[in-house]
Formats: sequence, structure tokens, C-alpha cells
Amino acid sequence: MIDLIQNTLDGAMIGSSYALLALGFTLIFGTMRRLNLAYGPTIMAGAYLGTYAALRLGIGAVPVALLVVAGAALAGLYVERLCFRPFGEGAAITSMISSFAVWMQIEEAATLVLPQHLNAFPPLVAGAPITLGPFFFRLDHLLMLVVAAAAAALVHGVLHHTRFGLGVRTVIDHKRAAELVGVPVMRTLTLAFVLACAIGGLAGFLIAASEAQITPMFGMWATTKGLIAMMLGGLGSLPGAIVGGLALGVIEAHAQWLFGPLVRDLIAWGLLFAVLAFFPGGLLGAREAGQAAALQRRV
Amino acid sequence: MDDHLVGVLCNIGIISFVALSAYVLLLAGEVSFGQQAFFAMGAYAAGMATAVLRWPLAPALLVGALIGALTAAIVGRATLRLTGLYFAMATLAFAEMLRIAFELFVWQVDVDGSLVGPKGTDGFGDIRYLFENEITPAQYMAGVYVLLALVLAGFAAIDRSRFGRMLRQAGADPLLAELQGVSVVRVRLVAAAAAGALAGLGGGLYAHLLTYVEPGNFNIMLGVHSLAYGLIGGLGTVLGPVLGVLIDIGLLESSRLFEGYRMIVFGGLVAVLLIVRPRGLLDERAVHWISSCVKGLAGALAARRLDRSLRRR
Repeated sequence: MIDLIQNTLDGAMIGSSYALLALGFTLIFGTMRRLNLAYGPTIMAGAYLGTYAALRLGIGAVPVALLVVAGAALAGLYVERLCFRPFGEGAAITSMISSFAVWMQIEEAATLVLPQHLNAFPPLVAGAPITLGPFFFRLDHLLMLVVAAAAAALVHGVLHHTRFGLGVRTVIDHKRAAELVGVPVMRTLTLAFVLACAIGGLAGFLIAASEAQITPMFGMWATTKGLIAMMLGGLGSLPGAIVGGLALGVIEAHAQWLFGPLVRDLIAWGLLFAVLAFFPGGLLGAREAGQAAALQRRV
Repeated sequence: MDDHLVGVLCNIGIISFVALSAYVLLLAGEVSFGQQAFFAMGAYAAGMATAVLRWPLAPALLVGALIGALTAAIVGRATLRLTGLYFAMATLAFAEMLRIAFELFVWQVDVDGSLVGPKGTDGFGDIRYLFENEITPAQYMAGVYVLLALVLAGFAAIDRSRFGRMLRQAGADPLLAELQGVSVVRVRLVAAAAAGALAGLGGGLYAHLLTYVEPGNFNIMLGVHSLAYGLIGGLGTVLGPVLGVLIDIGLLESSRLFEGYRMIVFGGLVAVLLIVRPRGLLDERAVHWISSCVKGLAGALAARRLDRSLRRR
């Protein structure tokens, strides 16, 4: 029983970073209606920049975090310009493949900068875990939860209490209508894209810092985890991304403890497959999927 | 021909199968990230058939293709009512599940005093049929290309058939197709099974060429690559995916022209190419232009021949 609760707590803390990953992913999908496969590699570009600076200049955790976020945002701008901006509506597949091409570019560029497979990443905090009764909490995981929650709250605030956020939500609801009421759609799309990559960068920093290492596989890892969390919660739903991320973290923690890492990944993918096959709307995205289905039935 | 060239050509031929497999689904209007799953099924099934069960190559390849088709049909039944991104994700999820399942799958059998068979993450080695039966790489390559030519001929035949039209219709506008009495789900299911068979066949050929496969060979990279080949080469003709494979493996991987930063060059090339030609090099317009050129040329030749024969009289 104690193990059960401990695993759930650990899972929720790690899940908070998955939630942040999924939040960025969903923001891109919601505004663009396209999948950015290069999302994970974009984050990796930032993380490699941070690692490189930490190794060469010996800077601390906070400047590294800023570098990671800035690097991810910059790489995101590159992806947006190359893979999303040039294509009009209805070219979702083209954008997807194009973002995959950029994925390969970033991955190779990262290995050229730091040729070693495994690179040390500066940890966020060092120190003994806090014990609370029978449970213990790793400091960096706690900090991960706090930072992720703060970031999610900040994103919520930006989306709901600023003019830019209103624009983003309008674009998510209906791009054409947003254009008609005077939202600068193109600028909003670019800004939302860059913001999403910055959020992803923060998530990437938290994860890399708690693992204290980074490999060229990180890009693929971040894309797949973000994808699963996003789809679990429901495509295009921002609260769904948070729920999906937390759920994925908790499920993975239990599966890892019970069956080991291989079966953990098998369960994560199996869950995604089952959700898609049986509840295509995800946990919180049912509204949109239901609408589409209703529309099809009516036709 | 030297061995390196034969190896590269074999590889191009084999990867073309999985690229064509993704292309079939693109025609039907579905994007699959998971054709590598059926490629893996074919590789493992055909490999086990020759290496463990000591079957000859041809029935082993056939079984690989059949298992690919069967799995694809079962997965298709569960997922084909999804569209767009949902379908793409479902296929990816299935492929990753299968890859991990192969990492857990151990089935080793004593064959002539040594253990043969899939061994989880350590992979599946000693698929030595070609070696044991003294088939040279050049002979194998010829076999691969004969099969590929048959498949391409089959595509050409289907393109002119009623089913081919239904397939393109379902891909271009599923709603309109449905209104005209085409059962889109059924057409897509047949397409998915055919795509699974193609990938399974390619997988069997792949396992026998390499003699060793491991689950890591069949990851998302292979899936997205095979999808990308069609988009680079062009969606207008069945030769498009083959052209895509030729450009990537033939030109960039094998020439070692950009050793060390090949992916940066290839990735940039693809991204820019897609901006300039969103439906690939051989898109519908290019195909139309080429075919009208060929027809024009043939017409001109025929006219000249007629002219000459008239003059002779």
C-alpha cells in the first residue's frame, strides 16, 4: 500500500513535466491543426545548447535553464519558418513530413556539437530527499512539480487574461472567424508556436536536470512522450494535456515498478492505441471528436 | 558489379517495398506512421520460417507477406474508422507496441547443434538461407528486382481498374465517394491489407539480405522515412516512392558525399523541396507533362514513319 502511494506520488511529480511537454504540443496543434514532429528535437536543441554552455563555461542551473528555453524558442522559430509558415491550409501531411526532416537535421547537428552519446547535464538541486512519514520526495522532483504548476498557471493566465491569449483562443476556436474580427492571425500563430517551444524547453530542462544527463535520443523521447500525453488527454484540449501528462506519469511509475522499463513503454503505447481505438476523443477532448462524428452522421 | 553496389541496389529495392506500402495508404487518404510494423512481421516470420523451420525461401516470403496482410487487416479493422492524425498516431502506437513486443520475444530452437531464433533485444541472427543455398548477392538482387517489377506492374494494372478508381476516390474525397456508393472503410481495409502484404514481403527480403535483424531496425524512423519517400519522390505515380528511396539511399547514404552531416543536408533538402513541390518531384502535373511528352514524341515518330512510308509509295 505504501509502495502504491509512493509510486503514485513519484509518477505525479514526473507526470507534471510530461504535462508541460503536452501543453506545448497541444498549443501548437490547437492553433496550427498540424502535428509538429520536430517538437522534441527543438527542445533537444535548447538542451544541447545549455549542456554545451554548462560544459564550456561552467554556469549554474538557472542560466542553463534560461539558455535551454531560449534555444528551444529559437529552434522553434526555425521550424515554424521552414515547415509551417510556407504551407497553406490542408497541407498537414506536408508540414508533418517537413518537420520530420528538420528533426533529422537537429539530431545530427546535436551530435556534431557534442559527439559523445551521453553528456552530463547540470542537476537542478542536490540534497537528501525529504522524508514525510513513510514517504520520501526527491527535491528535484518536488521542484519539478512546483515549476511545472507555476508554468501551467502562467500559461493559463496569459491565455485568459491578455489580448494575445484571447487571440490564441480565438484562433484555436475558428481561424477564419479570428481573421474576420481582426486578430493578427499570422503573428499570433508564430508567437504561439514559439511560446509552445519555450514551454517545451522548460519541460525539457526539468527532465534533463532530474536525470542529470542527456543523449541524442532525447528528441525522439520528448516527441513520443508529449504525443502520448497529448493524445491521452484529448487532442487540442489544454486541460486535457495536463490531465494526460499526469495520468501518463502515474501509469508509467506503476508499470515500471511492477514490470520494468520495457513493459512500461509497451503499456504506455498500448494505452494510447486503446484510447484511440475506443475513445478517439481522449479523456477531455470528447467535445470536438463528438462534434465531428455528429457532423458526419448528419451528412 | 562490386559487392558494395549490389548491396546498395538490394537495399534500395527492399526499402522500396515499405515505401510503396505507405504510398498505398496515402492513395487511400490515410497517413500511416506504422508500416514498419508489418515490415518487422514479415522479417521475423520469413526469417523464422527458413532459419528455424528450415523452409525454402519462396514459401517463407509468402508467409511473411500473408502475416503482414493479416496483421494489417486486423489493425485496420480497429483503426480505419479514424482519420488523419488519429489514424497516424494509432498506427504509430501499434508499431511501437510491436517493436517492444519483439524486444521481449524469445523463441530459440536447437538447429544442428546451435540455438537459432529471435532473442529479444539481442535480435535475431543466423538467417543464413542465402549463404547455405549458395545464392550470390547478384542473384538475390535480381530476385528482389523481379518482385519489385511485378509489384509495380500490379500497381499499373490496379490503377486502371475499378478498384483503383475507388481507391483514389476514397483518398481524394471520402464523403463524395461514400455518396457515390463506394464503401470507403472497405476500400481502405483492402488497401491496408495490401499495404501490409507489401511491407511483409519487403521485410522477409530484408531479413534474408542482412541475415540479422533486431527490433531497433523497425523503429519510428523507418516508418516516417517510408512515408517521406513517397512525398519526396512524388504522389502522382507509383514510381514516386521508388524515386524517393533512390534519392535518399542511392544518392546520399551510399555516395558518402556528405559524410558526417548527411542528415543536415538531406533534411534541409526535403524541407525546401516540400516548399517548392508539396506533392513531391513526380506530382500529378509532372506525370501528366511527362506522359503528354511521351505521347507527343510517340505521335511525332508515328507521323514521321507514316510520312516516310507514304513517300516511299
